[in-house]
Amino acid sequence: MGAVIDGMGVAREALAALKAAGADKASASFSRGEQNELNVDAGRMSLYRSTVNVSLSLGALVGTRKGSVSLNKYDGEAIRQAAEEAVSMARSSESDPANDISPARPLESFEHGPSEPDNEAMYRRLKEFVDYAAERYPDTKLEQCILDFGRGESCYANSNGAEFRDRSGSYSFSAMFTTKRGERASSFNYSGASHRGLDKPLKDWGSIDLLMKQSTEQLDVDSVEGSFSGDLIITPDCFGDFISYMDSVYIGDYAIITGASPWKDRLGQEVVSPLLSLRSEPNGPGIEIGYSYTGDGFRAENCPIIEKGVLKNYSIGFYASNKTGKARCPSGGGAPVVDAGDTPFEDMVRSVKKGLLLARFSGGSPSDNGDFSGVAKNSYLIEDGKIVRPVGETMVAGNVAEILKNIRAVSRERVDYGSALFPWVLTGGVNISGK
Amino acid sequence: MRYSDIRRHAGLFSEYTELRVQENRSSRISVLNGDVVGNAASSQAGVSARSYKDGVWGFASSPEAGDEAVRACVVRAAANARFLASVEGRDAKPLPSRPGNSEHDLSTAKARVSRKELIDFARELDAYCQKRFPGLLSRSVSLSALDMEKTLLSSDGSASYSLIPRSLAAISLTVEAKGEPIDLYDIFGGRGHFEDNFDKPEALFASIDLLIERLKQKAAGVYAKPGTKDVILDSDLAGILAHEAIGHTVEADLVLGGSVAADYMGRQVASPLITLVDYANTASGRLCPVPLWTDDEGIEARDAVLINRGVLTSYMHNKESAAHFATEPTGNARAYGFYDEPLIRMRNTAIVPGDSALADMIASVDDGYYFLRSSNGQADSTSEFMFGVVMGYEIKGGTLGSALRDCTISGVAFDMLKTVSMVSGDMSWTAAGMCGKKQSIPVGMGGPAIKCRVNVGGRA
Repeated sequence: MGAVIDGMGVAREALAALKAAGADKASASFSRGEQNELNVDAGRMSLYRSTVNVSLSLGALVGTRKGSVSLNKYDGEAIRQAAEEAVSMARSSESDPANDISPARPLESFEHGPSEPDNEAMYRRLKEFVDYAAERYPDTKLEQCILDFGRGESCYANSNGAEFRDRSGSYSFSAMFTTKRGERASSFNYSGASHRGLDKPLKDWGSIDLLMKQSTEQLDVDSVEGSFSGDLIITPDCFGDFISYMDSVYIGDYAIITGASPWKDRLGQEVVSPLLSLRSEPNGPGIEIGYSYTGDGFRAENCPIIEKGVLKNYSIGFYASNKTGKARCPSGGGAPVVDAGDTPFEDMVRSVKKGLLLARFSGGSPSDNGDFSGVAKNSYLIEDGKIVRPVGETMVAGNVAEILKNIRAVSRERVDYGSALFPWVLTGGVNISGK
Repeated sequence: MRYSDIRRHAGLFSEYTELRVQENRSSRISVLNGDVVGNAASSQAGVSARSYKDGVWGFASSPEAGDEAVRACVVRAAANARFLASVEGRDAKPLPSRPGNSEHDLSTAKARVSRKELIDFARELDAYCQKRFPGLLSRSVSLSALDMEKTLLSSDGSASYSLIPRSLAAISLTVEAKGEPIDLYDIFGGRGHFEDNFDKPEALFASIDLLIERLKQKAAGVYAKPGTKDVILDSDLAGILAHEAIGHTVEADLVLGGSVAADYMGRQVASPLITLVDYANTASGRLCPVPLWTDDEGIEARDAVLINRGVLTSYMHNKESAAHFATEPTGNARAYGFYDEPLIRMRNTAIVPGDSALADMIASVDDGYYFLRSSNGQADSTSEFMFGVVMGYEIKGGTLGSALRDCTISGVAFDMLKTVSMVSGDMSWTAAGMCGKKQSIPVGMGGPAIKCRVNVGGRA
């Protein structure tokens, strides 16, 4: 199960097959990954899982018509058939001058993290976590926890001569839990993170220990009274969701290509609070688990997305860039880092007259205009500068752009998820309603 | 391609073991504002084995499916189980057995259409949308398909094969209203290949007309007022209620993980008007959207009557949870890809129809809402749920009023279901659902319309 494969050789062979099948331009990516995974279910270690998979993706351009095929085989005959299918699909498609491949770039190779798992340390760290949770939070049930080590090689090549190879290994841990005492149960909560090593106890990854402690406080919840416009302190776990919403509604491929984005002509302008700076940092240093190249064949470069409230880059790829004439995002748009502010979390709480500490948002995807509404989960009522009690059956509604404009403070403290780095954020003007 | 003679590998098993050879084939065509922006096909094929020893599991998978890869997977799965048993093993009850031996190939008997014909089909739908409503800000049409083909052998005597196809057409339209984009979508199709679900594009034109009409109404619509309201949930929302709000809380693994339903077995949890079933393969004599005859642990699948006239009567089980609760397995163990282990998953979850007429139900609401279409739903171990609602109407004095902009509804399902006072006599299925729980997997959801009280969230 540990066969050595020349990944770049497979990608180049796929390119040759695409050209032989009639592609004018072609791209190919090949990856091989192995995963070792330990699972905890209902509080006990239950499954040891080892998986191997490969993925070969072929893209063909005939003129500017495009077809794509992916499969998990890489023998010569499978490659030849897939190449012919991709070219046939391209010929069946429609011309679109925005379809293209990235320019030539000599092969660059990258290596990150360990190449083999430390199985003994994985077991020891997970057992330590299960024992810690049982002792510290005896009423908290670990619904499911997953500790895995993934390693592999991914390669990209296109017929212009751009080539990348990346070998990496990292550990990921996620924990989902509920506190139950008698017939009372808290809402479930979860968090997780990824790191190159197992130096830290798993309870200290991301915000896991904090959320488990909060879970024990959330057995008895009640709705807020009535409906009011109030403040939100959005936790790092939850703020990541709002960054994703901003991406999908305002700056991502779909929103920009369709022209539905309210920010489609706002590059270089202030679109949110000047207290907010968001960078995409696939090469670190803030991000430990980044990436070296983008899916459309460019070297991933760090770049600002929002700088002191000003929109600096859309998070669009090569196709959307060609389609709209707007600049491609140099980073590919991932690995988000929100700069720390200068307000201690405790001071943020003290400044709130009435509002919520929003720890998890269970809501539908925002509308195309950025409106959102949903349930405040694992959250707390704040009144007169104090966290008063946990809330349940409480809904929040607002507009993504508005709450980003209304940011009044960003915390000094941040939570490191390995692939993202977020602070607590204080904003206002949100509708909060009870039963 | 069908895997032949899987039984020849039975001699490799040294522990309780399941061996699965599987291929998922998918296809997607996306047309955005008239441009073909996606034209892709994918295949993921391979083999996996899972072994059980002393209360723990070992799993291994490989993209190869030759005899040597099969042997290596079986050996590695058993070794993983033995390793974990050596450090975490415990006294465990024997796994129950009810071997299913089924063969079901739901492939179309018709000639397969070409890629060009599929692209032309999508482009004709797009062109019709543009022709009927030239003022649209954006149009998105996508055709997607997924074939799941599985061959399974278990050491307790199950040998089964299934090929279950699904094909969908999704249309999403956006219009600008007072400077703001307003969107609405619909999805067509379900179980079966494209050839069995779709004929000519013209067959969908009436549905597109209705979608455009509702989008225009929504663009001129109002925001729902927050608060607790009498509402009619149409079948789309009743189905997602059955799946998200109730279904997940009675999956036995989540019951063991802290769900409130752990304390509710045999108790009245809903109005006597509510009966809720997770159907295995057939409901009211008709094949379900996601039929399952033998699950991925080799259990012959049976219906699970979760709530009977308001009383909680069953959880959904795999072999291990059935042993824990000393009951029969229901056949709910399902895996998405060859590289995935089976988890307790819903199949076709639905509220059983009642005897009210939808018109009477709407007429009975003095001040409330009629909610028609959801975007997504989420639920909780407490049974507190949230659904996004993307289409609905006010009800004033028993009459439908203005259309609604997007809103969210929520409640505690085991409280809310006690408020159900009317259930319609009709029933429809949503056949496009994907459920996420470690792995994403197709599910069916269905139901009649129900009258109940829920919390409505909005910005008004």
